[in-house]
Amino acid sequence: MSQINRISGGLIDRDKTLNFKFDGRVFEGHPGDTLASALLANGQRLVGRSFKYHRPRGIVTAGSEEPNALVQLRRGAHQEPNTRATETELFEGLEATSQNHRGSLKYDLMAVNDLLSPFLTAGFYYKTFMWPKGFWEKVYEPAIRASAGLGRLSGEPDPDTYDKGFLHCDILIIGGGAAGLSAALTAGRSGARVILAEENFRMGGRLIAETLELGGMSGTEWVTETLAELTAMTNLRFMPRTTVYGAFDHGIYGTLERMTDHLSSNEQKPRQVLWRIYSKRAILCAGATERLIAFGNNDRPGVMLAGATRAYVNRWAVTPGQRIAIFTNNNDGWRTATDLTEKGVEVTAVVDTRDGPARVTPSGASVVMGGRIIDTKGRHGIRSLTLSNGQTIPADCLAVSGGWNPNVHLTCHQGGRPVWRDDIAAFTPGDNLPVGMTVAGAANGSLGLAGALAEGGKAGNVATQDIGYSRSNYTAPKTEEEAVGISAFWYVKESRQRSWLDLQNDVTIKDVQLACQEGFSAVEHMKRYTTLGMATDQGKMANVPALAVLAECTNKSIPDTGTTVFRPPYSPVSIGAFAGRSRGNDFRPYRLTPSHDWAVEQSAVFVETGMWLRARWFPQPGETHWRQHVDREVLQTRKSVGVCDVTTLGKIDIQGRDAPAFLNSVYANAFGKLAVGKVRYGLMLREDGIAMDDGTTARLSEKRFVMTTTTANAVSVFRHLEFCRQCLWPGMDVHVISATEQFAQYSVAGPNSRRLLGRLVDPEFDISNEAFPFMACAEITVCGGTPARLFRISFSGELAYEIAVPTRYGDALIRVLIAAGEPFDVVPYGTEALSVMRIEKGHPAGGELNGQTTAHDLGMGRLLSKSTDYIGNTLRQRPGLNFEDRPTLMGFRPVDRSTNLTAGAHIIAKGKEATMENDEGWISSVASSPTLKYSIGLGFIKRGSRRLGDVIRVVNPLKGEDVEAEIVSPHFFDPDGERLRV
Amino acid sequence: MSDFMLKVRSPLDGIELTYGDVAIREITDRDIVSIAIPLGGTETLSKAVISAYQTELPAVGRCAKSHVDNAHFLGMAPDQYFIVFDRSGSESTDKITSKLGKTGYFTDQSDSWVMMRIGGPKSRTALERICPIDLHPTVFPEESVTRTLMEHLSTIILSEGNDHYLLLSARSSAGSFLQVLQKSVENVL
Repeated sequence: MSQINRISGGLIDRDKTLNFKFDGRVFEGHPGDTLASALLANGQRLVGRSFKYHRPRGIVTAGSEEPNALVQLRRGAHQEPNTRATETELFEGLEATSQNHRGSLKYDLMAVNDLLSPFLTAGFYYKTFMWPKGFWEKVYEPAIRASAGLGRLSGEPDPDTYDKGFLHCDILIIGGGAAGLSAALTAGRSGARVILAEENFRMGGRLIAETLELGGMSGTEWVTETLAELTAMTNLRFMPRTTVYGAFDHGIYGTLERMTDHLSSNEQKPRQVLWRIYSKRAILCAGATERLIAFGNNDRPGVMLAGATRAYVNRWAVTPGQRIAIFTNNNDGWRTATDLTEKGVEVTAVVDTRDGPARVTPSGASVVMGGRIIDTKGRHGIRSLTLSNGQTIPADCLAVSGGWNPNVHLTCHQGGRPVWRDDIAAFTPGDNLPVGMTVAGAANGSLGLAGALAEGGKAGNVATQDIGYSRSNYTAPKTEEEAVGISAFWYVKESRQRSWLDLQNDVTIKDVQLACQEGFSAVEHMKRYTTLGMATDQGKMANVPALAVLAECTNKSIPDTGTTVFRPPYSPVSIGAFAGRSRGNDFRPYRLTPSHDWAVEQSAVFVETGMWLRARWFPQPGETHWRQHVDREVLQTRKSVGVCDVTTLGKIDIQGRDAPAFLNSVYANAFGKLAVGKVRYGLMLREDGIAMDDGTTARLSEKRFVMTTTTANAVSVFRHLEFCRQCLWPGMDVHVISATEQFAQYSVAGPNSRRLLGRLVDPEFDISNEAFPFMACAEITVCGGTPARLFRISFSGELAYEIAVPTRYGDALIRVLIAAGEPFDVVPYGTEALSVMRIEKGHPAGGELNGQTTAHDLGMGRLLSKSTDYIGNTLRQRPGLNFEDRPTLMGFRPVDRSTNLTAGAHIIAKGKEATMENDEGWISSVASSPTLKYSIGLGFIKRGSRRLGDVIRVVNPLKGEDVEAEIVSPHFFDPDGERLRV
Repeated sequence: MSDFMLKVRSPLDGIELTYGDVAIREITDRDIVSIAIPLGGTETLSKAVISAYQTELPAVGRCAKSHVDNAHFLGMAPDQYFIVFDRSGSESTDKITSKLGKTGYFTDQSDSWVMMRIGGPKSRTALERICPIDLHPTVFPEESVTRTLMEHLSTIILSEGNDHYLLLSARSSAGSFLQVLQKSVENVL
């Protein structure tokens, strides 16, 4: 069998033959074919099985509204389910398989569902499977899930790549048909920047699917001529294979461009690109979608939209059948008869639901005016149709036209509602369009070619003039007169067989009537009860006929019944396209510290802290557990000296005459009198009095400070300072700028830290304890003149410094610090050792600054300034933050020193049940202290400072842990700070 | 005198890449200093800039060039400029202070940013994949500058004309930024 339905003409390249496979069988087609047209050319009518009843289904449409011809495209990991054959451009080696059947496509075992259809009506899920109760999760749901769905994912990671992007234009034209091309002509000639997006791979829309003449030439010739002019414009960007799937705020449109889907191999280029298009104006020229008429067994393969039939015949040179009948309620259906006849295809009948004279009588065809089709025959494809008068008409294809629905979807994405027009029996765009959008052509309800050409040209001119461009000369080409009359006819009441409204979801007229009967008469309820309008086609064909049925059930008009809400996307967008390149290592950027490369050389293990990768610990040969790495790093630091990269801490340069006053206002403790060359710990409150962040701020000169923040809050604190500066106190002379990236900063901690630094710091700078005491700072030079900043501050509780150099020297400095520390057995330590030492010392960090705690809770009440006003000062005094029972920060150690505490555990009094009513606090941070040789914790407990020595229980119900612990000072190590000041 | 010396290392070790007619290059010989205007000090600063650099301070979003030190003033915000200039021996802020005195608050930003130049006929096409702003020459002509976001990374972009752009992004994520640029170019060539 080789293209038995291929006829003359068409826009295909017959000089080339493409081989492709469908369900393992090899077929031939030509460039310019879609998978659907190639299958039809080869006589393949059966292409899938329906969702619920597994009924045989064929190709119904020629576009993105296709409900039936959904296939799995490609193989293996590249496989994509639910691909519309009608939009799939044929390429050499294409492989597609049909979906939703067990056994072969022709003999689907699940077709037994069709026999059970009386029990499987809409809502049957909700009425059955109610008992026995325990069966739902174990039996019913798994069984339903196993049979649900259409295509199948490969289950493997998607090997294709995707990308995203941003485009800008003056005018976005959505749709490259008659209206869109006319709009492009006027908009493009004006000089405006224009993007023309067309869903299909070929511009022209219905112009290349019909035989209408315009300007004395065929539609295809006019399109070719128009494209020649447009492609010469440098201000116009063509985007074929591009679907505008959503209209968003401010003239932004979501758009999917299929870049390589039509190629055998994408050669590692992105398969699809998800564009965000920023437009000043948009002209929607999305055309219209034809709809079916519902009648008995109107879902058989071979039943097809009349417009699609013409498209296959005229554009793709394929006849969908050898003997074609037509069923219509409008004049457009008659055009099908004319086109088929001109192509030499036998038309067996034209059945028009309207009374009156026949328009054209094709040779040999029966013409039935006021006719009704009540049934069709043919197991795997239509063979004949039966009229209400009992007449049987042979046909292997039935072209149906129930009228056209303007594609109003994008007009409704910003809350707009379409309005009903009786003259075309369809919804058209309402007044509430997205800002900047106009609609032209069939999408606007102008279903004739002349109207589309005129409206498109005008819309292009109006849009460009709106934004300051001059009007272009444009005369719409003359077209032959078209008759577009329609008499609304939705379904054949005389049919006793099931009549399908929604082919994709197997929803019949009876289902809609049942929904109404059972109280689901609101359109949104009906949709959810029946599933009508869901899934990949979103009911593009089905919605309006279903509304008509619902309207009849509820004795309302169609406009009073209303539509469901149109939401993006207009047609399906793969998850991969939404992800773009944000996968794997590209999911998000990484920030690397200046010592990263060196740390990699040391086989450091890294931890993600926000976007930063920080060295967590540095394993050494012979160590088998992370505790060994951390214990060694802590003990060696406390014994001699350790070095840790603390570059990730936020650094903010603050300058200005009012910098001291500014700091007084943003910090809860006073900074105005901080001397030059000194550092002070600072606690920042939120407006509501809760602790926001802490850190140190050093005064480098009268007008200059450098603030450090926690790593996590570096950005939020900077943003907060900018807000304060710009919005709260614009009269202050103060400026802030981030210097986090500017300096590589290392903590050098331990009894030998001064001796180590002494080998680096240039001799003119005295860093002795007397000259450079605890909490001193200075701008110095190191290693023979390299500028540096030195701060004598300590997070570890040891004699410690933080040294900062411009980041370009950061890699060198870590190497020099380690080399200079060799005589002292210097040890690099990571974030885990850093954390252990700060817990031993009792310094609060993220676990304690958790957005719930106050300065008093943290034991810093005495730090608060009494002489200055500052952010948080008023609301911190609320009674709710100052009652006696508020949990305060304390230390905890297990009574049995061999047991461990767990962060997040609750604190319960001895003898009480572990319930929320008895909850007295929580453990916020824990560490296995190598210094103390037992587990320690920081936590918050009611009336903590008065309960020193009390024994409580630390309970972790998640792990079944219940440990007795003693309440102690949070300062486990060197509580008097003697080691800091030596 | 210390026994140790510190070697300079640029964020991307001076990488240069060519993809067809698109070139990506790290710029390593320029310094950046932020200039903030003291409250009420705009005129004083302006005069100092004109005197020292023979150019006027640009508007926000624009760049003004000076032959002195090949300096480019970038208008970053109503009270903030970046000056990008050829690196020399002295500290960058010292150099600016020597020319502008105390007319502004100066902060060295040379090590805060990785500075990249992307150029070539398809560079704008490549940037379309990551840059949300409109780079069309009619909208973003030569000597335009702005802050934006590329693949989550804060970026300053300056149009140098003829499809050449100077990009500044945070130094710590320079590797990711380079990857972003490379991927964008590879995807469009």
